[in-house]
Amino acid sequence: MSKYFYDLLPADELARLPYIPTVPEFVEWLEATYADMPAMTDLTSTWTYREFCERIAHRRAFIESLGLPKGANIGVFDRNSADAIELFLAITSAGYTVLMLPSSLPNPAVVGCCARFDLQALFVRDEFKDIAQGAPTRICSSSSTSEAVAPVAKVDKEAPAAIFFTGGTTGAPKGAVLSHRALMRGCYNSIFKPGKVIGVHRYIALLPLSHVFGLIAGTMGCFYTGNLIHTCEDMKATIGKLPVIKPTILIIVPGICDILAGLCKMYGPQFLGGALRLIIAGAANVPPRLVDIFTKLGVEFTFGYGLTEGANLTSANANALEKPTSIGKIYPGQEARIVDGELWIKGDNLFSGYYKDPVNTAAAFSEDGWLKTGDLVRFDDEGFLYITGRIKNLIILPNGENVSPESLEEPFYADPCVRDAMVKEDELNGDKVIAIEILPQMPAFEGKSWDEVVAYMEKLVNRINAGLPSTHRIMKVTVRQEDFKRTGSMKVARN
Amino acid sequence: MTKEEVFEGLKEIFATIKPKLDLDKVTMDSKLVMDLGVDSLSMLLLSLAAEQKFGMQFQPTAKPFETVGEVCDYIVSAVA
Repeated sequence: MSKYFYDLLPADELARLPYIPTVPEFVEWLEATYADMPAMTDLTSTWTYREFCERIAHRRAFIESLGLPKGANIGVFDRNSADAIELFLAITSAGYTVLMLPSSLPNPAVVGCCARFDLQALFVRDEFKDIAQGAPTRICSSSSTSEAVAPVAKVDKEAPAAIFFTGGTTGAPKGAVLSHRALMRGCYNSIFKPGKVIGVHRYIALLPLSHVFGLIAGTMGCFYTGNLIHTCEDMKATIGKLPVIKPTILIIVPGICDILAGLCKMYGPQFLGGALRLIIAGAANVPPRLVDIFTKLGVEFTFGYGLTEGANLTSANANALEKPTSIGKIYPGQEARIVDGELWIKGDNLFSGYYKDPVNTAAAFSEDGWLKTGDLVRFDDEGFLYITGRIKNLIILPNGENVSPESLEEPFYADPCVRDAMVKEDELNGDKVIAIEILPQMPAFEGKSWDEVVAYMEKLVNRINAGLPSTHRIMKVTVRQEDFKRTGSMKVARN
Repeated sequence: MTKEEVFEGLKEIFATIKPKLDLDKVTMDSKLVMDLGVDSLSMLLLSLAAEQKFGMQFQPTAKPFETVGEVCDYIVSAVA
């Protein structure tokens, strides 16, 4: 199985790219290996790998000056800026555990995260100061650095490196803890792309660093192979600058593929910059039509499958033209088996558990340590994997967001006028959206017309939407006059 | 540029980015999210396409646009 991946890149390049099990060792290796090659740019400044690693060393000194115990959890609340990228590597290479918060989080969620994940410090973009107000932790500006430098820490590869939000294999939102070993195995797997990979690509950090696909496959994959990354503080502005940035590779979700396809249709393929040769799509179901669209534009299109609990990269398909519905082959360093139709995996890339959640952690693994992915799959004769269904109750949107229906339903149950609510995936004008069906508590509406009941529920949805990240908003509302179909225990039957 | 002209231009963009949308049902009062299914990603495409079409720039607003008419008003004032 591994040969499939090893054969993707030239043998001499493969030999130059070892698996490095911890972030501190990785940062040292980056500086030694790619020293004078360009690492990162914001279009105003460009830093070589040596300069980039020096900036990280200064930031490590600042982090050390906070006097936190080693291993403490530190958050970063920023856009995909140079600050955020450097902080990710500085925190993890200084021996602390990082949590990258999604930049779309509203104030209550930021405050809640600090408490739930025991954040002992939070680096906040100056523009987001108000959103972080009241957070029960030490707040630092994300531009903070020091005149001094600090060396990388010595860390055990089993020590936690990062916590990522995930819907989990069973649905409810949690924090998946990735050790250095797991995180770096995911990063190593991201080197496997067709053709030459070292120092030949211009990347853009388009996807959130709070998401494993953006961070591991995108940003860390870029650094592992000595390439240049463009920061992205504003997705719209950055896409508008594609003709200037001229990316050669894009690591994106299907929803962004659709945006780019739409822009090419309206303004011609030159909108992509004219240098793009590879798109790697993932984090959500990739419709085969995208393979067709981008192949016709002369861009190689590959995609894969993964989950946060497996450090993102579980399988990849570099044969999208021949097998457009397959999620590809299993990456090196993993074993896979199918149990009652469900994909189970084992390997270096597996997470350590959900943060302070032993019950869900135990449920995620089999007794002998296999990760139960919650996805139903089959292999074909050539070892290509296909998803056939899902056990976990999760909505996976085209933007890569995993949404737990139960967590969205919760605030509706707090309203005395709601008897039951069910969040589900639905279609609106051809697009996949989050929808809700609400069964009103009718006695609460005595003397009111049905139109007034519907108007009340629409207002309620708008109010709850206003407190949600824009990616999690409910976009379709059905107010039910008939009861839901129910299970034997009178719970709402989901299917 | 009049609001009606901008509206017609926006409908042309919708025809590309939402091919399954019944354009006859799009009015100035149509709600972007609830009626048309414009999520955060399609809003991104809509605004990029509108910037190209009308030669203007969307600046961050305090409150997200709720209706098609609000987008038209914004574009009219931005190109004035």
